[in-house]
Amino acid sequence: MALTLVSSNKCAGGFQKVFEHDSSELKCKMKFAVFIPPKAETEKCAVLYWLSGLTCTEQNFITKAGSQLPAAEHELIIVAPDTSPRGCKLEGEDESWDFGSGAGFYVDATQEPWRTNYRMYSYVTEELPRLINANFPTDPDRMSISGHSMGGHGALICALKNPGKYKARPASEGSVSAFAPICNPIQCPWGQKAFSGYLGNDRSTWEAYDATKLAAAYSGPRLDVLIDQGREDQFLSAGQLLPDNLISVCSKKIPVVFRLHEGYDHSFYFISSFMVDHVAHHAKFLKA
Amino acid sequence: MDLYEIRGGRLGVITEEAEQQELQTDLSSMQSHKDKVSNRRGRAALQKSLPLEQGKQSSPSPTGADDKCDAFREEGIEENFGRREQHLEQHYNDVLQTLSQRYDKRSTRLEEEKKGKLEALYTQLLVCGQAMDASKELIETAQEIYRCQDKRLFLKTVMPTIKRIEAFAKEKVDLTVATRPEFDTPLADLTDVKAMMDSINVIPAPSAPVINPQIPNSATQTSLRVCWSLFSDDTVEYYELYYRPVLEDVPADGTQVPEVSKVNVKETHCTVTDLLPNAQYELWVTATNTTGISPASEKALYMTVPSPPVIKQRECTSCTEAAFISWDSGNTNPVDSYTVELSELSAAGTYSDATESIVGVPTCQCVVQLQKGSRYLISVRAVNIGGSSDRSDVLTVSTTGTFFHLLEDTAHPCLSISEDGFTVFYGDEELPISAMASDENAFTRCVAVLGDLIPVRGRHYWEVEVDDDTEFRIGVAYEDTERNSYLGANSTSWCMRHIVTPSRHKYEFLHNGWSPDLRITVNPVRIGVALDYQKGTLSFFNVDLKQHLHTFHYRFQNYVHPCFGFDSPGALTVHNAIEAPEYAFI
Repeated sequence: MALTLVSSNKCAGGFQKVFEHDSSELKCKMKFAVFIPPKAETEKCAVLYWLSGLTCTEQNFITKAGSQLPAAEHELIIVAPDTSPRGCKLEGEDESWDFGSGAGFYVDATQEPWRTNYRMYSYVTEELPRLINANFPTDPDRMSISGHSMGGHGALICALKNPGKYKARPASEGSVSAFAPICNPIQCPWGQKAFSGYLGNDRSTWEAYDATKLAAAYSGPRLDVLIDQGREDQFLSAGQLLPDNLISVCSKKIPVVFRLHEGYDHSFYFISSFMVDHVAHHAKFLKA
Repeated sequence: MDLYEIRGGRLGVITEEAEQQELQTDLSSMQSHKDKVSNRRGRAALQKSLPLEQGKQSSPSPTGADDKCDAFREEGIEENFGRREQHLEQHYNDVLQTLSQRYDKRSTRLEEEKKGKLEALYTQLLVCGQAMDASKELIETAQEIYRCQDKRLFLKTVMPTIKRIEAFAKEKVDLTVATRPEFDTPLADLTDVKAMMDSINVIPAPSAPVINPQIPNSATQTSLRVCWSLFSDDTVEYYELYYRPVLEDVPADGTQVPEVSKVNVKETHCTVTDLLPNAQYELWVTATNTTGISPASEKALYMTVPSPPVIKQRECTSCTEAAFISWDSGNTNPVDSYTVELSELSAAGTYSDATESIVGVPTCQCVVQLQKGSRYLISVRAVNIGGSSDRSDVLTVSTTGTFFHLLEDTAHPCLSISEDGFTVFYGDEELPISAMASDENAFTRCVAVLGDLIPVRGRHYWEVEVDDDTEFRIGVAYEDTERNSYLGANSTSWCMRHIVTPSRHKYEFLHNGWSPDLRITVNPVRIGVALDYQKGTLSFFNVDLKQHLHTFHYRFQNYVHPCFGFDSPGALTVHNAIEAPEYAFI
């Protein structure tokens, strides 16, 4: 699979690049951002996958989140894909900001017309890592995942559905982190809208993509979770995020540290305030 | 017969004779003495060129202290010669002076005698002269009368004149010289001069010895090595060394003056034993020979070496880069300074003989820099003028991690601390009010205790072991944090707090009464606390999960102490001297 360089900027001693490629899962051209830290010139580095939230592209994260400096310091490659397939010209895909374009919800859709292109789950968990490992100086055994809002939901379900994938060494602890994630999509308006569109009306099929449900049934290796949430987040008060539901079901297998931050909202201002902590959280597990 | 002639001539003889007498008697004796003196001088001069053997000791002794004494003597031969010459000159000068004084006295006396005699003679002469004038006058009167033609006048005056002549003839004129021309020559009493001359030959009593100042490192805790020397070639049979302790408070009435002890010794050095440590002694020495005892030397002050200090183990703390050592002096009186000695455990597993020493430590505590990840043996010595004490007992310090004891005097009365000092219990029992009146330094409301962290602004890490349901407050606080306040409720303490509510476990990270809102789903039972002064961070971890819980960001202005408290009865155990895990200081 050929990669086309879209942009490259020197940043934090390394390079913030954007590439485009033809995705086999999504059957369209997809862009993704990748930060190469200085250490990658001489050594293979671990990879942190970042999944963005509703309406985002690969740009928002790399311009607003302030991830490059901590990534360089902790010697991590950060890969940030787009949030949905683009240019598929599907009907209704641009009607709402919380469904369709920019709102892939990191599921493999089963309903028409979405099922051909909207396979963000497989893209993120299969195609993208293969692509990254083939083209960049990565250590394929060391990877981790994080995200914001819908991307937080995506990170959580990818980690929960793939025990032992996001870790440092075989059979060691895994780590996942999230900013204001949608913890229990089955129970919130966003989730219900998306899942009914992508997965149909059989709610039992939704559970496979619900972090709270997955956590309750989880039996894989220990998964360390860090969640930051702004208290002044409008979506929290609107009942879209539901972190309490997730926390209450996490067993000893999923030790969670959940931090509720006074005064912070849902924006990238909030994300950039605590990005350093999340990168450090992952670095702790990913250090060789 | 002309009286005048006789008398005058004799008078002249008298004076001459007197003069001659003076010179003869005294000069002759002086001359003989002077001869003797110059002979002696000559002999003395001869003697000078030969090495003087009197008063010197035999072969030098093996100890270094004696060599030093010998060295003094070697240098003193010139001085000895000088002194000897001086002594001789002085002696003979004394003799000469005495003699000339005598001479002066005698000659003045003789002068006076002469004067006296002359005066007497002169008076006599006058009397004679008057008598002669009187008789002359009579004769002339008689002759005049005899020639007188006038018979009647003749008859008138002849009878009284005849009477006068008869009377005059009857008068006996004493023609004997009032004084004898000879002078008495009393025996000159020169016995004392003789004695002086004799004493040149007699060995004098020795001059005062010179006691040496204390040689460094020659003393022990209970003994002193004293040396002295004799800067003359006096013969000495033996020396006597006197010593007594110098007491601080000597009562004014002099009733408790310390006893003076005495040692008889033949050499010019002595080791005095059975003394007190870290004490000052006054010593002086006299030299004795057959003639007598020399004056005492100047008094020297010597000091015994102090007793070794005692390291206060419970007050010593350490971290990866330093150790804080605290000790008791071990001496009732002050010492000059302390020396701290360290020995590092080598890779081979042995402690090197070569120790590092820190000298001149003024107080009974010290912070020493150390290397990370090693083991050391540390000991202390007390030092005064007399030298260094023996080593104190050794303290082992390991620099793998931060190590501290709990400050037991800060513990709330309801707390009890285990024997090893690392487990703290908050019991169920109600304590009586009497037990509540405790140390000024103790917490009175928050059931808490402080730890004694080493005052080094580096990185420190320790762990606390608790039970799942222990309601604790764990963190750090300034040393002067309010004892009647709760940990975390004020601006001088930072702590992680765990309480158990009916519905769930609640975790807070308190400072100034405020905590962020946090949920932790797995209750930590072993909490790692990482303090970084440089970065200004205090972090808490679930050690079992290597899970980061929270970090306070604060530039601690002063040193802080670890603090441990309870919100309800329970127990916790402090683990330290642990190497900080990698993630603790990312």
